[in-house]
Amino acid sequence: MSESVRMVVVLSVIAMVSAAVLAVVYGKTSVIIEENAARALESSVLEVLPGTATVNIIRREQNPLREEDPKEMREKEQKTTIIYQGVDAQGRIIGYAFVGEGNGYGGAIRVLVGVDESTDQVINLKILNHSETPGLGSRVEEEGFRNQFVGKTAQDPIAVNQDINAISGATISSRAVADAVRTALKDTVELYRGGE
Amino acid sequence: MAKSWKTLVNGLWNGNPTFRLLIGLCPVLAVTTRAVNGIGMGLATTFVIVCSSVLISLLRKVIPDKVRIPAYIIVIATFVTIVDLVMNAYLPDLHQVLGLFIPLIVVNCIVLGRAEAFASKNGVFASMLDGIGMGLGFTWALTVIGAIRELLGSGTVFGLKVVADGATTIGVMSLPPGAFITLGILMGIMNMISARQKKRAN
Repeated sequence: MSESVRMVVVLSVIAMVSAAVLAVVYGKTSVIIEENAARALESSVLEVLPGTATVNIIRREQNPLREEDPKEMREKEQKTTIIYQGVDAQGRIIGYAFVGEGNGYGGAIRVLVGVDESTDQVINLKILNHSETPGLGSRVEEEGFRNQFVGKTAQDPIAVNQDINAISGATISSRAVADAVRTALKDTVELYRGGE
Repeated sequence: MAKSWKTLVNGLWNGNPTFRLLIGLCPVLAVTTRAVNGIGMGLATTFVIVCSSVLISLLRKVIPDKVRIPAYIIVIATFVTIVDLVMNAYLPDLHQVLGLFIPLIVVNCIVLGRAEAFASKNGVFASMLDGIGMGLGFTWALTVIGAIRELLGSGTVFGLKVVADGATTIGVMSLPPGAFITLGILMGIMNMISARQKKRAN
């Protein structure tokens, strides 16, 4: 076997074995990783819906699909929205929470929004993850900024320069959070109420 | 036997990757804000060094010289990904803290350095001992730096409060400059001890 052939064969074999091993490990761990993420999200729900004792998970199809829909559309629209319903110790429904996403300066910002069951007003929100600049964009996590969203409903504009003051030096990050809250609120309230 | 012992302890003091070879400093400076982080990062790196050193030593006659670096990188990256996935699944809290630095073990010069300098030229058993020694040397260095920074920066060691309530802590020790200061002082102390030993031997 010439040297160049040997190089290719050895590298390919090593890469294939590596891929096989990783596939097995990934298969074993991905289930647990997903469970962990779900549990972490559940504890975040307790933060945005104070008083919650148990969390119900509701899955809603955003757009029910019909037979005649073209395949590309089906792939694009086949999106399930997960709504977390908070129930207190007496069994009363406190409210519901959902995840919104906006494009920040350093990537997507994911926000968990908690909404009151009876008034559809925002109770609280929590930034789940972001990759904004520390000290500037990361300040969207601060209470002063987040509190501006409390009491908003889907009818409010929820936009920077209208009813939300941006953090100075972090307009893009502020706008991303406002976008995330606005679109998620609009879509999810409709979805949640529509299913009753 | 004496030679094996020498290989094992080399990484702990004389050839300590952090204090003597000064390689792989990126994680040393970044994760050592707490002692627990130091242990976690150190043990994760130890696992990768030992596994990849053993495997590379086994394959040292099979891998053609010209493609040895890509081959080593694949082996190392595989083990790092395993550590990343397993830690994410079973130690999610630690994974959250170390998150970004786990994938970076792939390019940690200690791992590739030991593969190139030791495992590719020595037997499986010696390579394993070298990996264990280097890994534990890295681990104790990270843990000691972490403990000192945690004590001075936040008043705790391994998460336990050790200073009185209301005592002032030195905030800068939790920040990157604190890592450089701690590393420099510890290196000075180690050099002093070694110099004294040498003098006594003479």
